[in-house]
Amino acid sequence: MSFRTKLFFIFSVSVLASVSLVAYGVTHYTQASFEELDAQRTEALVTQFKSEYAQRGEEVLQQVKNIAGSEASIRTAIELSRPNPDQSLFVHDARGAAEDHGLDYLEIVNSDGTLISSYQYSARVGYKDDLFSTPQDWNESTFFLRREELPDGVALSLTAVRTAPDTQKPIYFVGGRKLDQNFLSSLVLPSGMRTLLYGNLEPSFSAASLIDANGTVQQADRFESLIQAVQMQPKPLVKTIEWSNNAADAETFHAIPLPGRNNELLGVLLVGSSRRELVLLTRHILQIAAVVAGAALLVGLLISLWVSARITRPLEELAEGAHKVASGRWDTVIELRGRDEIGQLASAFNEMTQTLATQREQLVQTERVAAWRELARRLAHELRNPLFPLQITVENLQKARQLDAKQFLEVFNESTATLRAELANLNTIVGRFSDFSKMPAPHFSRLNVNEALRNAVRLFEPQFNAVGKPPVIPEYFLTEPLPEIDADADLLHRAFQNLVLNALDAMPAGGTLTMRTSEHEGSVRIEVSDTGKGLTPEECSRLFTPYYTTKVQGTGLGLAIIQSVVSDHHGTISVSSDEGRGTTFRIELPQRQTLQPAPAPTETLAEKKPPQDSQSITVAASD
Amino acid sequence: MRFIELRLSAAISLLLTAAQIFWASPLRAATNPRSGGTLRVELHAASVSLDPREWQAGSLESATSEKMAALVFERLVELDNYGRFQPLLATEWSHDASSKRWQFIIRGGVKFSDGTALTAANVVTALQPLLPSTQQISPSGNVIVIQSSVPVPDLLEQIASGPYFVYRVLPGGQLAGTGPFVLGEAPVASANTAAVTRAHLYFRANEDAWSGRPFVDGIDVLLGVPPLRAMFDLQLGKADLAELAPDLVPRARQSNLRIWTSEPVTLYALRFDDAQNSASSSDARLREALSLSIDRGTMANVLLQRQAEPAAALLPQWLSGYAFLFNVDANLERAKELHRAISANATAGADMLRLCVDLPGDLPKLLGERVAVNARQASMVVQVVSRAAADAPGGVHLFAWHYSSLSSRSELDSLFAAYNLSEAPEMNATSTDHEQLYERERRVLEDRRVLPLVVQAESVGLGATVRDWMPARWGQWHLADVWLDLPATAPSALSNTFSNAPNAATPGVQSVTPLRTPAPGAKP
Repeated sequence: MSFRTKLFFIFSVSVLASVSLVAYGVTHYTQASFEELDAQRTEALVTQFKSEYAQRGEEVLQQVKNIAGSEASIRTAIELSRPNPDQSLFVHDARGAAEDHGLDYLEIVNSDGTLISSYQYSARVGYKDDLFSTPQDWNESTFFLRREELPDGVALSLTAVRTAPDTQKPIYFVGGRKLDQNFLSSLVLPSGMRTLLYGNLEPSFSAASLIDANGTVQQADRFESLIQAVQMQPKPLVKTIEWSNNAADAETFHAIPLPGRNNELLGVLLVGSSRRELVLLTRHILQIAAVVAGAALLVGLLISLWVSARITRPLEELAEGAHKVASGRWDTVIELRGRDEIGQLASAFNEMTQTLATQREQLVQTERVAAWRELARRLAHELRNPLFPLQITVENLQKARQLDAKQFLEVFNESTATLRAELANLNTIVGRFSDFSKMPAPHFSRLNVNEALRNAVRLFEPQFNAVGKPPVIPEYFLTEPLPEIDADADLLHRAFQNLVLNALDAMPAGGTLTMRTSEHEGSVRIEVSDTGKGLTPEECSRLFTPYYTTKVQGTGLGLAIIQSVVSDHHGTISVSSDEGRGTTFRIELPQRQTLQPAPAPTETLAEKKPPQDSQSITVAASD
Repeated sequence: MRFIELRLSAAISLLLTAAQIFWASPLRAATNPRSGGTLRVELHAASVSLDPREWQAGSLESATSEKMAALVFERLVELDNYGRFQPLLATEWSHDASSKRWQFIIRGGVKFSDGTALTAANVVTALQPLLPSTQQISPSGNVIVIQSSVPVPDLLEQIASGPYFVYRVLPGGQLAGTGPFVLGEAPVASANTAAVTRAHLYFRANEDAWSGRPFVDGIDVLLGVPPLRAMFDLQLGKADLAELAPDLVPRARQSNLRIWTSEPVTLYALRFDDAQNSASSSDARLREALSLSIDRGTMANVLLQRQAEPAAALLPQWLSGYAFLFNVDANLERAKELHRAISANATAGADMLRLCVDLPGDLPKLLGERVAVNARQASMVVQVVSRAAADAPGGVHLFAWHYSSLSSRSELDSLFAAYNLSEAPEMNATSTDHEQLYERERRVLEDRRVLPLVVQAESVGLGATVRDWMPARWGQWHLADVWLDLPATAPSALSNTFSNAPNAATPGVQSVTPLRTPAPGAKP
């Protein structure tokens, strides 16, 4: 990832974070405001419910008062006050009184708590009513919530109790109205709100006990956890129920416990507030926030792009300059832009390239001198060897003038033979140098590398089993078929000859000469290994230096010629050696030569990580 | 509203009482029966069938149908309130020593309402489908012979009650009878009388009745009248005779209405269905626990306003004579103990009973709920369900059985057959011996497959003008003997007419007839 990209990314993230933070803040504040509004609305409804609840209770109380104070009730009370009254005569009295006064429930209870008449549950007549187990002045009591037993179950009722006046024994009138869906439907609710009533009349949660203004509640089991929470701890609770994946369908329910006369939990009122309006409004705000944030983000990104480009342009120029320097253009100069840190860096870069160019020039001069010196030293060394016998021979010949003619003739002939031989030696030396200097340009044609390698090795077969010398065993591991390559057959033959010759020289005690070829990623690999004593790391590092040799009779030009040939074929040569085990030369040649002319050969020494106890040197002859 | 009604009814009662006093005064005293007028009857049943072949033994609907059929048809004999058999269509009867062969001499000169004479063959044709398979009937001149494969010493009780009416099937499918009344010619009178479902039935007096013309010109029967409305109609003089629901009887008495109450004629009982009838000890204990938990006294005295009696037996005392030997006092502690034992060995909810109440009206439901309340006192759970919700097995049914036969053996047979109450093989199901009958009933009751609750009496409210109301105490009405004590001038408040009554155009009182004129050969 480029620096500009990184910078742009950082700027973008910063802009995005800032915009998101602002959007979140606005949304959160808005949502909190609406939540508060919703809570206020719910609170108003709860207050309204309590008011309605109290009003209904007062109505019930008034109706029960009316019943208890009626003439018929007084007559009933008088009749029941007589000794051994026939209570069966009044068994149906509750029905008429309840219907006349619009009550859902009415019971007439004797002074001892025995039920005389029941509108809602006639079958219970004759049983004691638990309400009157303890004496109490019921005429001072107010209405209360009661668990009403009915033939088909239980129900909640708003109940009041009064006694008939001026009777010897009190006769209780227990009247009530259902707290049911009719009661819920009578509540005036704002849009989006509803009330549910759960009759806590069963030991465990019962979905059928939960009703709303329309009757049974759908998916009542979703309220189970809320109801159970109120049952465990009777206090107001709030819970949001999501009816579907759409958050707009969710409702927030405020659960209000409804206690009975003894503070037992008899019911739970659930005030539900639809979150649709809130969610839709929030969504709308979110959409606006998203549009604004998107626009802000776009502008921020454009600015980030511009700023990052402005900041990174000098750096890119610096990087480009560095690349140019790396590719050899030492005269690269960066345009100075300002005097900030980047400008100072560019100035330092320019100074550095200038210094490098100067030092390179000096290095080239130094290397050139060193090369000439090495050449002179090698030439002197090579030439000194035949010159010394020449000098001795000439001196012997001068001394031979004092001998008789016969002896002189013998010396003369011997000396001339020596002179001739040494001169021939000199001529050979000069010829080698001449040959190196006359390396011809390659003429590429399609070549079978295996065939070329076999031909080169074949020339040395007589030496493999020469009399008086330890045998050298050639081994071939050639990949067949091997793709043909573009190569100069003569130059490659010459290179292979030098490789084999070097290998033979490395195995004076005999050994195995191994030739391998293989195809490798568009190129052909040739390996020539010997089992000689190997090379030291230092020898490996200097092996391809011209005129460097480890042999007594060598000129140091053999590997230089090989390297030159490989370079001309745009290939690489490397050497790996295990000291005491042998050396392997590896040449990789491309199967196809490009049409571009080969640039001036440069030598780059790249070291590969050698295997343990071995040295490996690769010479890449390329541009 | 109720208090207004009370006041209104009190005022009406006062008026009626005053009127009664006036009409009963020496100035207005009427010692001789009068002929004429239309007796207005209001019944709770919404429909009746006058075809005895369609009646279902024990059903409440059949009881009403039987009352109506008795206006049109007659039996061979009847039982009077003194326990004596009186001849009707049979003038004499005799049987062999084994009581297997019975011979009846058919009354001569009797004509059906269509004018054809009554023959022994008519009797045979009418009774053969009604008699049990063990009894064969055959004509012989003016004599019919009933031959039974088993002794039937109670044959007279059997044929003096229930569906054993003599009728004649007319070509159109209608039934013609020899009774004191004929089904009137209402717009649908020509329809098949086998399925009369009209709101009104009009029976006109049979002028040619062998037993003499009835006193009233006709009887207008209004069907499907709600109990409260029937009482109000009675109070307001819109009806002369009306069935009264038991819970209204005290109110009717408070309103000084004339109330007649029969012997207990309807049994309310619980019947365990087949799933609960198994002989396993848990089911037996459950049945016993339920039986012991039921407070029958409160049911009869409070809920049914003393218009019923606690029932420990299947047959009432007046019918069997041994019902007092049965006793099922509530024992709540024992019931709890049994239930605890059942609960300890039963899975949760296995001891819950579903009580199916599929009878019309509020009374059966009230009784069912009372059973549930009683059971709850013994920690038992009884869920009262209607017929629609009672499909699941493993429940109890509340049923009503109306006693229609004067033969306790016949009644017991019908009851056992109707509810598949199996008896031990050694029991003699044909015996009329009271000990044998008691033993049969005892074994069934001990098994508690059927738990009697209460036996309810039938109550009838009578208008102030109704005279000589002399029904049998087991519920048979004798409306042919009833006459209306109407003023000579047409009264306004106590109008005795119905606008849609066929004879409404000429109601009123005809000339005083000293006695109901019997036809030749009438009963003594």
